[in-house]
Amino acid sequence: MRVWSEALTWSIALTAVLATVITVSAGIGPVWIPPDAVAKILLNAVVLPTAVDLSGPSVELSTQPLFRFQVAELHRQIVLRVRLPRILLGAVVGFSLAAAGTIMQGIFRNPMADPSIIGVSSGAAVGAVAFLVVPAAIPFGIGLRGAAFLGALVTAFAVYLIATEDGRTPVATLLLAGVAIQAFLGAVIGVLQLYSGEGLRAVVHWLMGHLGNASWTDVTITLLLVPVLFGILLAYARDLNVLLLGEEAAAGLGVEVERTKRVLLAVSAVLTAAAVAVSGVIGFVGLIVPHMVRLVVGPDHRVLLPAAALAGASFLVATDTVARAGATEIPVGIVTAALGAPFFLYLLRSREVHSL
Amino acid sequence: MSDAPLVVDDVSVTLGGHAVVSAVSVTAESGDFVGLIGPNGAGKTTLLRAIRGGVTPTAGEITLAGQSVASLSAREIGRRVATVPQETELSFAFSVEEAVAMGRHAHIGRFGTADETDRKAVERALQRTSLTNLADRPVTELSGGERQRVLLARALAQATPVLLLDEPTANLDINHAIRTLETVRSVVDDGTAAVAAIHDLDLAARYCDRLVLLAEGSVVAAGSPDAVLTSETIAAAFDATAVVDRDERTGAPRVTALGDESDDL
Repeated sequence: MRVWSEALTWSIALTAVLATVITVSAGIGPVWIPPDAVAKILLNAVVLPTAVDLSGPSVELSTQPLFRFQVAELHRQIVLRVRLPRILLGAVVGFSLAAAGTIMQGIFRNPMADPSIIGVSSGAAVGAVAFLVVPAAIPFGIGLRGAAFLGALVTAFAVYLIATEDGRTPVATLLLAGVAIQAFLGAVIGVLQLYSGEGLRAVVHWLMGHLGNASWTDVTITLLLVPVLFGILLAYARDLNVLLLGEEAAAGLGVEVERTKRVLLAVSAVLTAAAVAVSGVIGFVGLIVPHMVRLVVGPDHRVLLPAAALAGASFLVATDTVARAGATEIPVGIVTAALGAPFFLYLLRSREVHSL
Repeated sequence: MSDAPLVVDDVSVTLGGHAVVSAVSVTAESGDFVGLIGPNGAGKTTLLRAIRGGVTPTAGEITLAGQSVASLSAREIGRRVATVPQETELSFAFSVEEAVAMGRHAHIGRFGTADETDRKAVERALQRTSLTNLADRPVTELSGGERQRVLLARALAQATPVLLLDEPTANLDINHAIRTLETVRSVVDDGTAAVAAIHDLDLAARYCDRLVLLAEGSVVAAGSPDAVLTSETIAAAFDATAVVDRDERTGAPRVTALGDESDDL
């Protein structure tokens, strides 16, 4: 019980941080809106269902706002229509990448592991770049995001199959297979870029990672998908703790090692693929945030996983705010690396980090 | 088929085309401390791995209280067999108590949390290994001897009928080695069946009820320490000349290995 109450405490605290970051972020932009006005707008958007009408041809759900604060209509439009989708998408993407990164570092027992270690990002990049450069190669009806998502999953699955023999997937083989596939796909992306012509700008833009094209559809789809996947990861948190002792020891303690790895790899891959598909390749969140949070809350995944995911959400919303706040928008992937790397190096030097 | 906690029946294991264990039979009853001795590469570790389902025998069968290991899930095995490994990755900064509590993993459901039984088992394991004072220390800050005790405590917390130990004393000074084996002995006297691969022949003779001498995967001799440790068996298994006499204080056989020049004796 003690562990779960600790997890809950951290989750509540970090959710409060995230809510604050979102509120401040939604006020920042060409038009400055004070946080209290943003808070009122967000609270006004909270609705309660009052009645369900089943008489008509379709189900009608009547709702009633919970609060009715006085807000400027222009501000309301800016916050809800323009800024909020991008902010929420940033939160979901940061949440997913940090969660997947935490899981990968645990499975691989390797501090260099990140969500794309089994080729998810490279696969997504090939899918997206192929869509931008040679749309004809992508079957009809699949959009940019679909192409990236499919590319990511196909690649992750291929890496997994290559590394699996007799039902066993040694993590060292998985790591090396992932590195090799990423190098190969890097070459493919290079070739596509060479022949991209007019599309080069769009390709480079996508590869750097950005949240600029966020729509409410993206937000809704990812918000429906992510909690389910995250729930599965959390259910395996204790197994992952034991897995940190090494696979042989974990098996001796009653962990179904191969099945646990399979589930965790698959769920993390889908989580990462969903994030990369809507945002492009945003590095660093999945690599650094889990380390930062581990230094603070310790290695127990029942606490670490939710804490890292929520911290990742705040981190990406904050860095994306920086990315879009200037006169010219910078891809958020550049900001995460530019801000994250020095901070992480500082942590590395100030705390004696010898291992994960 | 016997319902003893552990029965290894005519088991062979082939790894990478090599017969590592050949037709070995060992039985451990409740309250038995069985020592596996033999030179490096004799198959001791592989036999222990086979018992906990880590490798699959190519022939023969291993049963735990009458149930074949091959038919049990990792979780079911984890409730029947605990292992003290030679070394382990303890590189994450879990506290001693958390690390020992991982021994309860097989007893707790996926969505469950530790209950009173689990907490008692952890507490008792910490006491038996004199780790109670270190319970809150990160395992990464412990000495080699203390880490070995954490591994033993973790296995004791698992509270299984069968306890396997792979060179539990290999990295320990003589004081810690004796303390470890005293602890195992007391657990065995409480009804556990223990099987330990032990390098130190004198310690094996002193603490084990029975010894199984392995060489190149086969049993050279098995039985009481007195019967197993003789100049002849040691010459056969270790390819070394040794004198076996009796330690007056402990009453156990004592093995003194001699160099090759002793051929003249």
